[in-house]
Amino acid sequence: MRAFWGIRHRSIIFRVIAVTVFFSVLLITIVGSVLYLQISSEILREKLNESVSETRSLVDYAQGEVDATIYLPALKIDKVVDKILKSGDLTLAASPREVALIGTPRTTGTPGANSTFNGASGGVNIQSIPLTLRRQVVKSGDIKWVRSWISYRDGTRVPAIIIGSSIEIPRALPYELYYIFLLKEQNIIISFIGRLLLLSGLLLVLLIGAISWSVLRRALSPIRDAAEIAEQLTAGDLGRRMRVVGQDEMTRLAISFNEMAVSMQQQISRLENLSRLQQRFVSDVSHELRTPLTTIRMASEVISDNKEKMDPAVARSVELLQSQIARFEVLLTDLLEVSRFDARASILEVKETDMKNLVNSCIDQAHVTDNQEIVVNFPPESVTANVDPRRIERIMRNLIANAIDHGEGKAIHITIKQAQTEVAVSVRDYGVGFTSRESLHLFDRFWRADPSRSRLRGGTGLGLSISLDDANLHQGLLKAWGSPGRGANFVLTVPKTPGISIEREPIPIDPPDELSTIPIDPEED
Amino acid sequence: MTLIMVVDDDQDLAEMLGIVLNGSGFEVDLVNSGDQVMPLFSAHEPELVLLDVMLPGMSGIEVCKEIRKVSMVPIVMLSAKGDSHDVVLGLEAGADDYMVKPFNPSELVARIKVRLRRSGGDSHTSLKIGDIVIDQVAHTIIRHGKTIQLTRLEFDLLVVLAKEPGRVFSRDALLSEVWGYQQAADTRLVNVHVQRLRAKIEEDADNPTVIVTVRGVGYKAGTGYE
Repeated sequence: MRAFWGIRHRSIIFRVIAVTVFFSVLLITIVGSVLYLQISSEILREKLNESVSETRSLVDYAQGEVDATIYLPALKIDKVVDKILKSGDLTLAASPREVALIGTPRTTGTPGANSTFNGASGGVNIQSIPLTLRRQVVKSGDIKWVRSWISYRDGTRVPAIIIGSSIEIPRALPYELYYIFLLKEQNIIISFIGRLLLLSGLLLVLLIGAISWSVLRRALSPIRDAAEIAEQLTAGDLGRRMRVVGQDEMTRLAISFNEMAVSMQQQISRLENLSRLQQRFVSDVSHELRTPLTTIRMASEVISDNKEKMDPAVARSVELLQSQIARFEVLLTDLLEVSRFDARASILEVKETDMKNLVNSCIDQAHVTDNQEIVVNFPPESVTANVDPRRIERIMRNLIANAIDHGEGKAIHITIKQAQTEVAVSVRDYGVGFTSRESLHLFDRFWRADPSRSRLRGGTGLGLSISLDDANLHQGLLKAWGSPGRGANFVLTVPKTPGISIEREPIPIDPPDELSTIPIDPEED
Repeated sequence: MTLIMVVDDDQDLAEMLGIVLNGSGFEVDLVNSGDQVMPLFSAHEPELVLLDVMLPGMSGIEVCKEIRKVSMVPIVMLSAKGDSHDVVLGLEAGADDYMVKPFNPSELVARIKVRLRRSGGDSHTSLKIGDIVIDQVAHTIIRHGKTIQLTRLEFDLLVVLAKEPGRVFSRDALLSEVWGYQQAADTRLVNVHVQRLRAKIEEDADNPTVIVTVRGVGYKAGTGYE
């Protein structure tokens, strides 16, 4: 119960935390990405501006060097180109860079591109310079740039800003000169910032989760208390109350909860008092009736002693008087027994009992007419059980008397069977039986199946009700089966040792000689 | 004629009891309230008292204790509640037997006759149980030279146990031999009276040596302190 409540309680917390964390993750991701993009693009723009202006001067210088070869024949064009290509390494520029020179293919589409001076510094693969950039450079003749990955001949790839311009080499076709500014350092900075943002985002989410968990727990603790106390109230500890602290909404919960508990307690104790009074009343009435009944009984005995001197009608009247007094006594005893059950004052007096003997003596005591046949089916081995013999005897006497009453003189079958821990006794008659509608009331107090007939033997109408209570007191079962015109079957099953619950019923309630049957379980009505 | 005192606040029942007992050859004193019992008791000295448990003035249990202070006369309680604690209290206060209303008058007379029966009078031998000597003729018991007062029922109980020293008596057997019950009856009768008897004759009632309990079976005569 408690664990069940705990899981549900935790699921409320988890639900709220899940929502909170989801939205904070969303928000932090958006903010973090924006920040990251802003910072990284700022860093790159700085680098770009720097690189573009540097490239401008470098290109001007390179063009100047190349042009000089026209006037100074001493300068070999290939030496100059070599010098330009090496300028990437030689310059004392703050950032590392590479240089690449590529011949522009003829626009007319004639094969055989000029590639005499093609080359690149530091082993850069000139194929990795994007073609789109090259087209732009060729088309505009001005400085153009792009951010891209550059690859080396050994296969490594590095992010870089590639800035290109066209260059005129004398006695040769146009060439493109590219300066490749490697972004190693910037990348390190940007990825460091990225990691920093990610880490702080994660920490923030965890913090938000933890805070909302602790706040929720604190906020929900009165509800948890309320549930716990409600459980204790349910368990019968009616004196439990919630603590009332402070003046917030939870305090109001505590106050109204306590008010509810008080009113519940009052209501329950009132009902308890009422039922106790009622039970006392039944018990007192039965006892109060006993003293006058004693006097009446003695008076009738005294009168009866002089029966032979009486008129036959008077003598018969005395007989009737005596039999009715006897019936009255039985009724009183039954009423007292019922009031004891109602007051839960009944106690099992357990003794090791031979069930076969017990049932046999009940059969012997039954008022059997001469032509009434009782067939017993007992197991050959001894059947003993720790039961209250007085109560089991009462049940059996009652079931047998009922069978005789309603059996229409046909044979009555009494069976005993045992299992490992249970003993069952069935009493089967083939008489009037009962309908399923009647069966609903079979165990009701003072209920009679057929008022015109069943007073024949003067039963009290409490018999089956007491029998059921007796069976329940043993934690046993008393079940009934009946069918109009086909008879009835009652099965009593009790554990061999009190306190053990019944695991199986050695005798099924459906009689084996009946196929379509409706079992009646008195527990269900 | 044997005088029986009937104490019941229900006048009709008392009168009816008187009629039945007269018819069986007893003389009857009718008393309607508890506080009238003692003066009449000392004046008439009845041989048996029929006592209702619930009485106005002084409860049946109180009356029982008062009678026991001065007499060992048999007392039979009448109760409307056979299962109630009152019955045990009455027995502990010194009542010998009880009957639950509504009782059968002939059974009542039978009970009374058993209680008035003189037992053991036929035997002239003296019995010994533990270190106690039972004089069946004088109807007294003596321990270490001192006479101990017992009710007739307690005396009978002790005699039954002493006559067959080796035998273990079940409670049902004692109910039959001492109380005269032929059918199963209330075993509390035996338990309470054994306790009362032990309190009188044992040196230490918590560790009895004269009447020994045999667990799960009943009681038997002990050997006493050797």
